[in-house]
Amino acid sequence: MDKEIVERVARIAHLDLTEEELERYGEDLSEILEYFQMLDEIPGEDTLGFNPIIVADVLREDEPRMDIEPEEILKGMKTYEGYVRGPRLS
Amino acid sequence: MTDLKRINDIYEMYTSFTDAEPNGKFTFSAKDNLTSIDFESCAGSKILSGYRPPFDATPIKKMREAGGFLQGKTNMDEFGFGTFSANSGFGIPKNPYDLNRSCGGSSGGAACAAAVLEDHVALGVSTGGSIVCPASFCGVYGIAPSYGRVSRYGLIDYANSLDKVGVLSAKAADLGKYLRIIAGKDEHDPTSCVQPDMPEKDRAMKSVAVPKEAIEGISDKVMTHFEASLESLRSMGIDVEYVDMPVLKYAMPAYYVIAASEASTNLARFCGMRYGQQDGDLSLGFDAYFTSFRSKYFGDEAKRRILLGTFTRMVGYADRYYNKALRVRESIIQEYKKVFTNCDAVVTPTMPFISPRFDEIANMSALDVYKADFLTIPPNLTGMPHMSVPCGYSDGMPVGLMFTSDHWNEDVLLSAAVEWEKGFEMKRPEVKA
Repeated sequence: MDKEIVERVARIAHLDLTEEELERYGEDLSEILEYFQMLDEIPGEDTLGFNPIIVADVLREDEPRMDIEPEEILKGMKTYEGYVRGPRLS
Repeated sequence: MTDLKRINDIYEMYTSFTDAEPNGKFTFSAKDNLTSIDFESCAGSKILSGYRPPFDATPIKKMREAGGFLQGKTNMDEFGFGTFSANSGFGIPKNPYDLNRSCGGSSGGAACAAAVLEDHVALGVSTGGSIVCPASFCGVYGIAPSYGRVSRYGLIDYANSLDKVGVLSAKAADLGKYLRIIAGKDEHDPTSCVQPDMPEKDRAMKSVAVPKEAIEGISDKVMTHFEASLESLRSMGIDVEYVDMPVLKYAMPAYYVIAASEASTNLARFCGMRYGQQDGDLSLGFDAYFTSFRSKYFGDEAKRRILLGTFTRMVGYADRYYNKALRVRESIIQEYKKVFTNCDAVVTPTMPFISPRFDEIANMSALDVYKADFLTIPPNLTGMPHMSVPCGYSDGMPVGLMFTSDHWNEDVLLSAAVEWEKGFEMKRPEVKA
């Protein structure tokens, strides 16, 4: 995998890689994807499932409830006047 | 120094633990990717350092309700990304039979705890072999149930179509005893809600199949014990036949494509807000903040899998990799179902070699490590229950035997484990002074 593609993938994945990492991961991914080419040999099934078992929608009664108090969840976060703090929007 | 602290200093199986006197009916540990209110839950990642969840994962909640005392959280590869537990952000657990060798992964700390602590049951999590591999390397029993048998509520996801919570112990009977406690429907996890109940009485295993393709590339040390194990199964009255399962060779690439694809999306939530480490510079813009944070705290293998999974889902590549891998998974499921029309379980060695030394692991490429999982991946990819039992010792290191049964047929494995234990002489490791 050439360096430009690794850089593009890293940008999409929000990873800032050093020159050494770009080169190393590029070599690793090239070797891995070359091996994965064997997937081209097999047609696979016509259908594809996102889970290995059949999963049905299971819905509970639509009744409001509170499993965990919001204050408990906020304890582990940086907050300001009850709001979660994040980076600048621009 | 307490006895537990002394033991943990040697083996590093816990990332956090209490040395308070256990006050439950039984003592258990949980892999560090299962949330618990009384310990940090970091999934082996520095990015989650300091994260104290406000709730218990359902399997932990059920164990406590059954009278269990949670002693600690066990060490693991970061988010489950590894075969040797060498990718943890919090030290590397050591094999209790040889401190220079791996416990296996990614539930390495769990297997180590099950091996060195008396009367201990460990909750592990498997995505591609992370229960049976360490069970094999540490000489204990371990079961990963059918996908959906145990609720994943409170499990920090690696790959949500593959993750399964299971049990490790030095005693075969513990697998069934504790699996029945943590199994069952949970409204917080819809994938757990389609399962049939486990039968009250385990059915006996009567026949097994050995895929010819799965015993190629096995080390001589392991093969010797595998062949002896087949003889033991025959002497137990279990029929053994050889079958062809040619699609098994596609399981490894299909698994890594699906696992990395799902992991790369699941890990998008770790951006320096809400969980664990939050020490980034908030004056940065959104993209710069998230990028700097993730680059600083994700480990080497996590970055590799995020890159791989992002690539295999990208426009122009998704059909060739991700969608194709899903179709191949269906083919492998069908192949297993065909084999199970004539037998109760598929049996292979658990791992192709005994636990490697850390210097050997350091010389393996990423692809070499992925290839080492070729035996444990097929049942994991297909969501089928599978179990490792200790079957011998080579150069003093344990060797494991793996059974796989059809979806929801854990009971056949559980009965086999108990029968196997009657004829197997386990050599527990000598805990270092």
